[in-house]
Amino acid sequence: MLKVALSGLRTNKVRLALTSIAIIIGVAFVAGSFVLTDTISARFDALLGDISAGTDVYVRGMDPDFGNDFGQLIVSMPEETLDDVLEVDGVAAAEATVDGIAQVIGTDGEPLGGQGPPTLATSWVANEQLSSLRIKEGNGRAPEGPGEVVLDVGTAESAGFTVGDEIGIVFNGPVETYRLVGLASFGDEDNLAGATLAVFDIRESQRALDLEGRISSIAVAAAPDVTADELVARIDPVLPDMAMAITVADANAEQSEEISQALGFLTIGLLAFAAIAVFVGAFIISNTFRIIIAQRTRELALLRAIGATGSQVTRMVVVEALIIALVSSAIGVIIGIGLAVMLQVFLRSIGFGLPEGPLTVLPRTIIVGMLVGVIVTVVSSILPARKAARIPPVAAMSEVLSTPTRKSLRTRAIWGLAILAVGVVSLGVGLFLSVSNAIWFVAIGALTVFIGVSILAPLFAGPITSVLGWPLPKLFGVPGTLAKQNTQRQPRRTASTASALMIGVALVVFVAIFGASIKTSVASALGDVFGADLTISSSNFATGVSPRFTEELRAAPEIGEVSALGFTQAKVEDEVYTVTAIEPATISGLIAVGVSDEDLADMAASDGLLISVAEPDYESWIGRTVPVEMPNGVTAPGTIVGTFDVENFGAFFITRERYATGFETVSDSLVVARAADGVSVADAQAAAIEVATPYPSLEVQTTSEVLADAEMQIDQLLAIFSALLGLAIIIAVLGITNTLALSIIERTREIGLLRAIGMVRRQVRRMIRWEAVIIAVFGAILGIGTGILLGWAVVRSLADQGLETFTVPFGQLFVYIVIAAVAGVIAAIYPARRAAKLNILEAISYE
Amino acid sequence: MSDTAVRVSDAVKTYGEGEAAVTALRGVTADFAAGRFTAIMGPSGSGKSTLLHCMAGLDSLNSGTVHLGETELGSLSDKDLTILRRDQVGFVFQAFNLVSTLSAQDNILLPLAIAGEKPDQEWYDEVIEAVGLGDRLTHRPSELSGGQQQRVAAARALVTRPKIVFADEPSGNLDSRSGAELLDFMRHAVDNFGQTIVMVTHDPFAASHADRVIFLDDGHIVSELHDPSAEEILDMMKTLGD
Repeated sequence: MLKVALSGLRTNKVRLALTSIAIIIGVAFVAGSFVLTDTISARFDALLGDISAGTDVYVRGMDPDFGNDFGQLIVSMPEETLDDVLEVDGVAAAEATVDGIAQVIGTDGEPLGGQGPPTLATSWVANEQLSSLRIKEGNGRAPEGPGEVVLDVGTAESAGFTVGDEIGIVFNGPVETYRLVGLASFGDEDNLAGATLAVFDIRESQRALDLEGRISSIAVAAAPDVTADELVARIDPVLPDMAMAITVADANAEQSEEISQALGFLTIGLLAFAAIAVFVGAFIISNTFRIIIAQRTRELALLRAIGATGSQVTRMVVVEALIIALVSSAIGVIIGIGLAVMLQVFLRSIGFGLPEGPLTVLPRTIIVGMLVGVIVTVVSSILPARKAARIPPVAAMSEVLSTPTRKSLRTRAIWGLAILAVGVVSLGVGLFLSVSNAIWFVAIGALTVFIGVSILAPLFAGPITSVLGWPLPKLFGVPGTLAKQNTQRQPRRTASTASALMIGVALVVFVAIFGASIKTSVASALGDVFGADLTISSSNFATGVSPRFTEELRAAPEIGEVSALGFTQAKVEDEVYTVTAIEPATISGLIAVGVSDEDLADMAASDGLLISVAEPDYESWIGRTVPVEMPNGVTAPGTIVGTFDVENFGAFFITRERYATGFETVSDSLVVARAADGVSVADAQAAAIEVATPYPSLEVQTTSEVLADAEMQIDQLLAIFSALLGLAIIIAVLGITNTLALSIIERTREIGLLRAIGMVRRQVRRMIRWEAVIIAVFGAILGIGTGILLGWAVVRSLADQGLETFTVPFGQLFVYIVIAAVAGVIAAIYPARRAAKLNILEAISYE
Repeated sequence: MSDTAVRVSDAVKTYGEGEAAVTALRGVTADFAAGRFTAIMGPSGSGKSTLLHCMAGLDSLNSGTVHLGETELGSLSDKDLTILRRDQVGFVFQAFNLVSTLSAQDNILLPLAIAGEKPDQEWYDEVIEAVGLGDRLTHRPSELSGGQQQRVAAARALVTRPKIVFADEPSGNLDSRSGAELLDFMRHAVDNFGQTIVMVTHDPFAASHADRVIFLDDGHIVSELHDPSAEEILDMMKTLGD
């Protein structure tokens, strides 16, 4: 039987090649995402190990209760801590660094980086054993005093700086000028993951970062007879409260963990697309096998007639599927490795530099990739294979080539509706009930909905294709009539081909609806909340807006009220919350925060706190006085004097004064302002821009610009998603090509007849093309319907999180239908050409 | 009725190349008179089907010419040949003559529809009347008997008023009664409508409906009979040693 299976594969080469593309793409995404993430973590692990080789313990200023989500949360300790650490028994060497945020100004006057990887400032560590940095051979020397800086090689090269250049650097104030005296590298790496690094002499670092008398961290080398763990235990007691000691191994593990978490979105995204590709592929594989088996009915019946059992026939088909699966999965894994290389180049191009090194291809990657390909293919072939087993031997002799054993419509409707209902319930559970693993309920629900719709699709195939095909006979005569009727010949085939397209379209439509709804909601939320004319923020989130700038802005005659806001974390009665610092005197009118004037006055008078009405049991807090600890450990009691009612501003409002106690260097996250009376917004903006000139990282935007910015960001995100989902659509288009190519083989004799009695080639091509267009548009309609359902469910479920408007972008949906029609035309190119080129004599005598 | 509908001169047709080459026609010259019913007979491999295909513009000759009326087929492009078949030639094949998604009536009108032309109602009615399908015109091919399907094909071949109808074993798949009905209809078309028909067959009974029978053997015309009976044809076949 294996021999027969192999010969079956050989004769169906082209069709199976098209099928395997679907498997290859799915497997490639699976393998690619594994290879990429494994490679990145392996390289970072190697690099971290490399640059910390001489260090055993770090001491750093951080309360472990606080996360490090905001750059501001790096806290410092007194510099005397270093002396205390040096006195600990077992410390062989220790040296301090002073770290912070600094942006290097590029030759174009704009700050480098800031939106992605961090822009770091640190101090030079002279002890080579403890330093993670080395001056790169022949590239200058270490910084030795005020006015001198060393940059990492990568940053200097990409900015076009060489040793000896004068460069501008921004800390928390106006630009300062330095001479570039050297270029440093991390081990063998010229750059650390796209971050920019400016290195100063320790005294200069303290001055520039406003950290006089303070240090950020201490690198410690252990004496030969002391383990890192022992040393941590010995150092900890001499440290002040806001500092902690940690072994290098633990610190590196923490870093790796952070890197993998940062990569998490990428892995999840890639695997999600892999899942979609594989799911769409499964439809195509199943469809292809079904059609091939229909065409081979006579041959399979002959096998049955000469004694093959039904299960032997099934096995033969499954073996065919297995062989295809193995070959295409192997190709998929190889392409996946290539995909990982391409993604790496892409990540570099958007600023996420990765350390150099070999690709990491773990056995797990190959095993999972192969398993996914094989399981999906074999499972998709099982239903058609079992159908093949049911072909009666007598079919070998019968006149009718393929007897479509159609399940009764009622059975199909019942099954389809039942499965659809299961999907909808699963979606509902995931979206509207607070269950753990909600995302799985949603994903499985969506998948089940797709399966349900595809089971029901043959029921609509007839009516919908009739409607879609209605103008064709009038417009295109016989080719149009035949195109329309060919789509109705095998409603099942038309429907399952269209279903593959449905999935991709539904997801794209879902993304479009979700995006449109977010945009509408954001616009109305911003419009409701923002009473300010101008918003000033830093392009580098970590540096924020300097209070010096805010003072200068207040002094400008074109500017009316100005209010600063700071986003940070604080420990309120033992628990860490996200909090917002406000200036109670000026905020009302600029931002609608939902606070009574009375509460604002109380807050200002008593350095009190306000609690969000979104917090559970918020009323029980009111009137209580609680300890409030800032990230640097400064703790002061505060009374909760009232409430605020606005989303996305955290759990508590604290005063700007309390906020200022939490940092050695204070900077605000956002400054909002109004134009002075009688001054236009444009003039006020011009004035603010003038004030901001010495602060290159600051951006002055009007509220409508903020809105446009937010919308643009949403659009960009949507565009990326849609482009990736486009892949699912491409796979589905291959499916249409495949189905048409197979259908044409079935209709060879008919096409030959049409050619014989006078149909010219162009008419043949037109007939196939319009058939494809109808299938594609049918798929798009199914997809749009399903996508609207998914979009509606998800948007509704997020209503309490501020997504208040359900918006269907009808214009965009219409564009999708047009795109689907064009996709149909493209899908038909190859089958139409084949059909038009059929040799008439061979075609009319085709068996 | 002495006009020539088709003229074949020195037709040579070879399939394949080199040692595997098979010569189907070795210099056939023949005239087919307009308004007559001609049958081409011969044993398997005698070249009779090849001759029909070449005359109908479905296949091309290696040398020699085919004139359909005044038109020399060898000089036509694929597109012109297709249009010539559509407008001037009718076909009846042995089987699978019909488009399964179209009704009998739509199948009959198919060549006109492909050309984007309206049927001549009077002529259409006359053909329909003669073909005798009555109320079955709205049925799909799968709902018709084999004989009915072949008669639909014959009606389709006539509906464009072609210069010539080519039939390739039209009754080959039919039982004798259905076959007789079809051949009677073709005979009727020649006698009453003045239609020219050329038919390839190996069935002496079918050939006996023709005005003239040409015998082919090994790519040559070896003999011909006029208004023959089935017995005369059978005798002739025996001498060819099929």
